[in-house]
Amino acid sequence: MKRIFVDYKKCLACKACETACAVEHHPGHSLLAALCDHKTQVNVRVLGIDHEAFPLSCRHCDPADCLNACPSGAISRDPESGAVLLDASFCKACAMCAMVCPFDAISFKVTHRSQYNRDVAYKCDLCNERIKEGKNPACVEACHSGALVYAEHDSLRGKHAAKSLRTYLLGAEGMPAHVELFRELRRKEFARRRGDE
Amino acid sequence: MDKVKAIKDDHRSVDPAAVEMLRIADREGYSNVWERYEKQQPQCSYGQLGTCCRICSMGPCRIDPFGEGPTHGVCGATADTIVARNLARMAAVGSSSHSDHGRKVALLLRAVANGTNTDYHITDPDKLMAVAARLGIPTDDRQQMEIAADVAKVAIDCFGNQEEEPLVFLQKYMPVKRFERLKGLESALYESTGAKTGFLPRGIDREAVDILHRTHFGCDHDPLSLVAQSIRSSLSDGWGGSLIATELQDILLGTPTIKSVKANLGVLEEESVNVVVHGHEPILSAKVAEMALSAENRQAAEAVGAKRVNVVGLCCTGNEVLLRQGVGMAGNESHSELAIMTGAVDAMVVDVQCIFPALADLASCFHTKFITTSEQAKIPGALHIQFDEHHADVIASRIIKTAIDAFPNRNKGRVYIPKHTATAVVGFTVEEILKALGGTPQPLIDLIVNGTIKGVAGIVGCNNVKVQQDHFHRVLTMELLKRDILVIGTGCWAVAAAKAGLMDLSAQELAGPGLKAVCKQLGIPPVLHMGSCVDCSRMLNLAGAIADHLKVDISDLPLVGSAPEWTTEKAVAIGAYFVGSGIPVHLWPLPPILGGPAVTRILTRDAKDVLGGWFFVEEDPVAAADQMERIVMERRSALGI
Repeated sequence: MKRIFVDYKKCLACKACETACAVEHHPGHSLLAALCDHKTQVNVRVLGIDHEAFPLSCRHCDPADCLNACPSGAISRDPESGAVLLDASFCKACAMCAMVCPFDAISFKVTHRSQYNRDVAYKCDLCNERIKEGKNPACVEACHSGALVYAEHDSLRGKHAAKSLRTYLLGAEGMPAHVELFRELRRKEFARRRGDE
Repeated sequence: MDKVKAIKDDHRSVDPAAVEMLRIADREGYSNVWERYEKQQPQCSYGQLGTCCRICSMGPCRIDPFGEGPTHGVCGATADTIVARNLARMAAVGSSSHSDHGRKVALLLRAVANGTNTDYHITDPDKLMAVAARLGIPTDDRQQMEIAADVAKVAIDCFGNQEEEPLVFLQKYMPVKRFERLKGLESALYESTGAKTGFLPRGIDREAVDILHRTHFGCDHDPLSLVAQSIRSSLSDGWGGSLIATELQDILLGTPTIKSVKANLGVLEEESVNVVVHGHEPILSAKVAEMALSAENRQAAEAVGAKRVNVVGLCCTGNEVLLRQGVGMAGNESHSELAIMTGAVDAMVVDVQCIFPALADLASCFHTKFITTSEQAKIPGALHIQFDEHHADVIASRIIKTAIDAFPNRNKGRVYIPKHTATAVVGFTVEEILKALGGTPQPLIDLIVNGTIKGVAGIVGCNNVKVQQDHFHRVLTMELLKRDILVIGTGCWAVAAAKAGLMDLSAQELAGPGLKAVCKQLGIPPVLHMGSCVDCSRMLNLAGAIADHLKVDISDLPLVGSAPEWTTEKAVAIGAYFVGSGIPVHLWPLPPILGGPAVTRILTRDAKDVLGGWFFVEEDPVAAADQMERIVMERRSALGI
């Protein structure tokens, strides 16, 4: 099953994924429509964990705690894509899903999918329609630096291993030197602010 | 020292007054620069690497630093082109800000000379004569105002010079060897590449406009050429705009003299009307400080139950009035919000540069009148009292009156003034330093030659929320002193050093044995306050005086610079004109250049051979001091001393 993998060292915190997600999930499918619309939903958030950035969204766990916890049957899994989906019309905003989610990937507000302008839970749907057409999720499509990859774990694993081993065994270059330096200086900056150095 | 102990107490600041105020901010939930910084996390790395281009509407374009995504912008610009263009624009903005400040002083001198402005006067005729002599303006048997008019004209012409010759102030002030080196560099580059590359600035305005032109869509894409023009524009600031600001302000407002002042939030007085002047241009703040002392305003203050009108400084306009009028210094850039949070500021008057727009909202939580005055710096939510130098006395008085009127509204229950102040001996202009040395730089040179003082480090301003406030300034300064390196500087660094007590005579004890003995003998602190950030020109002048005296280039001297908590584009210009003048410069935080490997190499390596000055980045203050000492020692051995 394909998943969104995060190569967090490559995330530059540009937040292009957030914007692309908002546009993709807006009924107007345009940035202009999504702007200043309180119902616009953004299903991915780039979190800053000290000097590292991590684009966090639903990990589509299996088994999914949220799915098991939902008393109203709003959460289900698409057997074909593996996506954990949330049907807003069944959601009673009880927040059981949010409480059991290990990634805090579920939020609440009035979205364009709400019935009767009620707060509902919303989360990443893996761009289920897009992936069924053979496309990448919108966030993956928008990522410039290769931090987000939508792939089968096995294929990715092989590539990762080969790349790392090339560095270790053959001394091939890993990250470009100036990027290594940039990361190292950022790490020090944050460590000092924490009081570690 | 207890100063160092405070480091662990609060990751935001080492200043004990700031730490106290931040406790109040946390308790009351006042928005502040540190809290807003946290909310901005994570910040975009494309911006931090300099590889985000927003110049045309085919973009914005971003270059993948990992080399797997897009390697070129839509137009084909490489990461290096994008980084160099962005850097050039920073230098243009920085040099323009300083230089535009200088322009206003030059225009004011002209107005005073031709009698259209009577609110200002020639306060220092000796300086007028000295500047005129330097510029080659005849002074014998001439009226003071005639000479002043000529000086003003030369200065004003430097801005609009359309000829190819370097601007006159630079020609007359830059040491001979440096001028020759830059001129030689221009012709050497022309001969070897067949392309024109300039380092010597022609007109002050022209070099900034040149950058705006050459960074327009589809012009200059060569990193070296863009960096060269950045240096050129910055030199038009250091040896042009800033220098004009310093020299002409000295003529109009007086050359600062050595004096003892108090620094930190403790200068605010519970029983007085407190007016904080914040920004950069002393044309206004000097008048505010002057008018606060008028009998009329004193009586008005007493009438509302205040002891007096207490004008205190913040940031660089604070440095200006501190040096000339000896007012108290409330703090540096990161203190601006904290000052208002004391609840004891009746008015904060600002002119231009480094003013957080957040101050307007914060002031609205208190009785504090937040007053903007400049056509170029209006802030929503502020009270705007338009400054006009032709009616300076009246307007400054109105500002004081506004503060006095606000005083009765002060909520005494909310007033908390941290009791911290430090004594600082300040006002070390080139004139005062030479006077202390007996009129020539020779004694200083002797001390450097015989190794009593290893060298001189010039440190410049800003606070940056990414660095614990004043921590880098303090530790770096103390480390350099220990190594017998005399520390001079300006701007928010100078305020940091003053607050830390490093400009107190007792700081002599922190210096190495050689420096300590010299400071004791001369009765000076080992850390010299040379002024505001435009007064970095004083550092260039001092370096120039030594270089010319020894008939060498600045790049031969054991001098080194640092901007350890830099924030602004002005700091980019200062750093670049130091480097262009032959002085290696340490920077922290990281400038937005690492996304361009060629630009990084030019600035940190190639510049060393080409200009004699270069940039280096170091995050640790002790390691930075090590590196600065190493440079000083290398230069000493190159000189054979």
